[in-house]
Amino acid sequence: MRRILHAIPLLLAVILLNYGLIAATPGDPVTALVGDFPAPAAYRAQVRHDYGLDKPVPIQALRYLVRVLHGDLGYSFANRQPVVSLIAGRLLATLELVGTALAFASIAGVLLGAVSAQFGGGIFDRATRGALTVGYALPEFWVGQMLILCFAIWLGWLPSQGAHAIRGAAGGWAGIADGLRHLLLPAIALSLRYLALIARVTRTSILDVLGANFVLAARARGAGSIRVLFGHALRNAAAPVLNTIGFNLGFILAGSALVETVFGWPGIGRLLFDSIESRDYPTMLGILLLVSVCVVGANLLTDIVHRLVDPRVA
Amino acid sequence: MITSLTRRAFTGASVGLAFAAGRPGLAIAAPSIAVLAIDADPPTLNPALSTDYATGDVGAKIFEGLIWLDRTYNPQPSLATQWQYAPDGTGWHFTLRDGVTWHDGKPFSADDVVFTFNEVLARFHPRTSGVLRAIGARVEAPDARTVQFTLAKGYAPFLVQMSVFDAPILPRHIYANTDILANPANQMPVGTGPFRFTNWTRGAAIHVQRNPAWWGDAAGLDEIVFQIVPQPANRSAGLETGEIDAVVDFYLPKPDEPRLMQEPNLQFRRGINIPAVYFLAFNTKRPAFARKASRQAVACAIDRDRLVRQVMRGLARPGYGAFGDGFKWLLDDADSYKRKYPLDPAQARQLLAQAGYDGKSVSLVYDAARPQLRATAQIVQDNLRAIGMPVELAPLERAVEMDRVFAKHDFDLTLQSYFSAGDPAIGYHRMYLTQIGDKALTNCTGFSDPDVDRQLAEAAIAPDRDHRAEIYRRLQVVLNEQLPSLVLFDEETVDFASRKLTGLWPAIDARDQWGGVRFAAN
Amino acid sequence: MKRQGWMAAAWLIALVLAAVFAPAVANFDPYSGSADSLLPPFTQGHWFGTDDLGRDIWAETVFGARVSLIVGVSAALLGAIVGVAMGALAGWHRGAVDATLMRLTEFFQILPRFVLAMIVIALFGPGIGKVILVITVLAWPQTARMVRASVATLRRAPFVEAARIGGMPGSRVLMQEVVPNVLAPVIVLAAMDVAAAILLEAGLGFFGLGDPNLVSWGAMLNEAQQYLRSAWWMAVFPGATIALTVLAFNRLADVLNAGLDPRGRS
Repeated sequence: MRRILHAIPLLLAVILLNYGLIAATPGDPVTALVGDFPAPAAYRAQVRHDYGLDKPVPIQALRYLVRVLHGDLGYSFANRQPVVSLIAGRLLATLELVGTALAFASIAGVLLGAVSAQFGGGIFDRATRGALTVGYALPEFWVGQMLILCFAIWLGWLPSQGAHAIRGAAGGWAGIADGLRHLLLPAIALSLRYLALIARVTRTSILDVLGANFVLAARARGAGSIRVLFGHALRNAAAPVLNTIGFNLGFILAGSALVETVFGWPGIGRLLFDSIESRDYPTMLGILLLVSVCVVGANLLTDIVHRLVDPRVA
Repeated sequence: MITSLTRRAFTGASVGLAFAAGRPGLAIAAPSIAVLAIDADPPTLNPALSTDYATGDVGAKIFEGLIWLDRTYNPQPSLATQWQYAPDGTGWHFTLRDGVTWHDGKPFSADDVVFTFNEVLARFHPRTSGVLRAIGARVEAPDARTVQFTLAKGYAPFLVQMSVFDAPILPRHIYANTDILANPANQMPVGTGPFRFTNWTRGAAIHVQRNPAWWGDAAGLDEIVFQIVPQPANRSAGLETGEIDAVVDFYLPKPDEPRLMQEPNLQFRRGINIPAVYFLAFNTKRPAFARKASRQAVACAIDRDRLVRQVMRGLARPGYGAFGDGFKWLLDDADSYKRKYPLDPAQARQLLAQAGYDGKSVSLVYDAARPQLRATAQIVQDNLRAIGMPVELAPLERAVEMDRVFAKHDFDLTLQSYFSAGDPAIGYHRMYLTQIGDKALTNCTGFSDPDVDRQLAEAAIAPDRDHRAEIYRRLQVVLNEQLPSLVLFDEETVDFASRKLTGLWPAIDARDQWGGVRFAAN
Repeated sequence: MKRQGWMAAAWLIALVLAAVFAPAVANFDPYSGSADSLLPPFTQGHWFGTDDLGRDIWAETVFGARVSLIVGVSAALLGAIVGVAMGALAGWHRGAVDATLMRLTEFFQILPRFVLAMIVIALFGPGIGKVILVITVLAWPQTARMVRASVATLRRAPFVEAARIGGMPGSRVLMQEVVPNVLAPVIVLAAMDVAAAILLEAGLGFFGLGDPNLVSWGAMLNEAQQYLRSAWWMAVFPGATIALTVLAFNRLADVLNAGLDPRGRS
């Protein structure tokens, strides 16, 4: 509860920062709200009035806050749509991509980390750790380009662009298969860095746990090494993995923006890129707000779940 | 494998219908459906309200103009079968086609034409409304089959503006006494053309099918699907895999086109397009380019062949002169850039010295969102650095860029591209006419010559092409010498389609005249 | 571990030298193209090939190192300075100062770095200085939190108490006795921040938000995207350079960390 109360001022501050960016934009703040579009003068005047831009700054900021709290992120002139519905229309695609990438990064990362820890110090461990360090240094968008180069252009196995076949999504199994084929490369590109991070964290925490008393106790009771690993050690590794994801969500979403741009994935990241290209300020700021809120929410959730999962944090 | 699967899944529904119609087991021809790619949902399907490219693409299949323009710009009969004009170009008389009906079965008449011009085009069409006002056009219907235009002054490209893109004819019985901008028919259009609208799934596709009651020979295709493909790279990929049957140049990434031209399953049409020029405009009010010698120096320094090869991947023609070389009837080799300004950095340096250039860096402003302009800017920067003129690149968002160039005149050099819209008087005169005020996409250079203005005005009115050509040749002598703007290249478009299609592209605009397109029998 | 540390150091030294002596290292002018566009690697003296405008990719990569290193190192350095200052103040003073500063770091930590940087550059226009500033603003909180924790514990350490009882003014105790003792982990963090800043700058360049008048690795990858099918080398070389540089800075951080860790654990 205290945690939730703690998050509220952070959220308000994020909204105020958004307002600050609008107010600090070179030129007329109305332009930042409308975007650089030849909007009719009447519309500009209305925006000026609605946002109280003829009023003193504190009142302006307060009004903006109230609007955002009412779920009004403004209107995108470039897309002739309210920003909220524009973002909502892209949300699913981004969730699909980020969700898949994180699921893959978690499963593969934990397995790799666990096996690496099991063979601690051996050749496998050393090779894995080397590979992970490299994986963590690779920029997502470049990995994306390289994957396109190999699997779409040279081998021709997978499509390089979009979320479904050009002639639209098919139904049934064919549709699912088609969706997966499109999802594979961007999901791998996005997951690589977090896979490396999770594997590292898992390995360290398992090594810690493997030396801990209760594992020794389990071993003493005659539990096999596989059972020890999966029964005790992995359960204890869950918390750090969760932390890794929770506290990196901001970076993951930013990575998604880059990967979506490389693969023409119709999600929020691509929307951000397009809105930057067309200087569609309301959409840009709406996405910034959304991502910030997600980050605050993820931190909060991570804290709460952490308490439930980790026996040591009470 | 996957491709053929999706193709089957796609046509499955229509095949199923054909079977249900009671001819099972027969080797019936599958319905002939052509899939065309567009980039996004058009804002409207009414081409009288928007010059959006996809709106025109879909609209040209459904609507018709009084005439259409063939590959060599000759007007061909469409809704009008004959036309005459008064010798001074102030009166135009059109005879309309008999037996034309709207897609809803109502008869078409001269009332529709008069209504469309007076109530829709004059008020809402982004290009035509201005033209109609400028030439003071009055439209009347002496009888149901005749339309009479009376102009306050002659206008040479009048007929060019009667095509479906600039003057589509709308049904009066649907639009009269309604809020035209909010009329539901803008999303479910009713036209007279070879195809009629069937449905539009937002974000996915727009379907049109053959209009059996069309006045011409029935369309060769059962259906056209405008598939919305947002990623440019996917539009070229779709052509290669056969998922898409035709794509107009506009929707394709330039770097992909040379590769597509090698593709054995594709046919293409290159370099037949409504002319458009890319040019470098000088701010003649700035000290660096106040003298013509420094502008000529730039002309000698910029490698226009390299621009064509590297920026446009060969799909352009190097700058020829003040009006480009898209209109073959007005060219004059003697005064072309090729003669006057061959690539010669030494000469350029000399001219710069002569102009008293002080070596200060100059700004080059352009629209950041267009990759061709960025590449052009980098080559211009490279070329001018070689003659000792440092260039500061300033890519800006389009609205900011327009404000800086046309309203604030805060630039030394700027890259622009102007579309001729079918006649130099429509699209190119604005490059050189004296401009007072801050109207966007006009003459931003500050160059002003009353004699040039007078001659341009004369060329806009004269109905006789030979007479106009003479004026344009005289103008090129002056403008190629003064160089307020340097034309860098003429765009060459390449439209692509599957080899299975025949009867493609009879019109200058690849989107027009799809009634005769069909799949080749095999 | 050790060998990898040396390899990382060697790469970074080579990179710095290449950036400093770029005109000598690159045998072509990175801003000047020729008629030979899209040449594959190792043709006509172009080791990495040429790009769409006939510019030498090796030269562009070498000159691109300048932007990446300047941005990475200055942002990390500034971030470290701000972070140490904030953290030291918070840890030393406790109470209201601490609470306020910690709230502030918390706020900056939740801001999505990359998204915010992109928007700020989009709103205020590109430029290396702005990029450095934005990254600094977003990078300092981690350092601040760490410094605060160490300062808070050191505050009660015997030698600090001794200095204080000896009559040294508080600010001098902080500057001379406490801060030097917490700097080691700051250096590790700074090395990691350089890597992060280089990645962020490349991301901005890839989104077309880099300085239009300077070559940068991110901008090169942006241009490569259009030519992926016809010129793979436009994407491979700048991308691999980014990856190696980021890897080297991360490795450096690891090695420093291991060396500074009193327990000497690997």
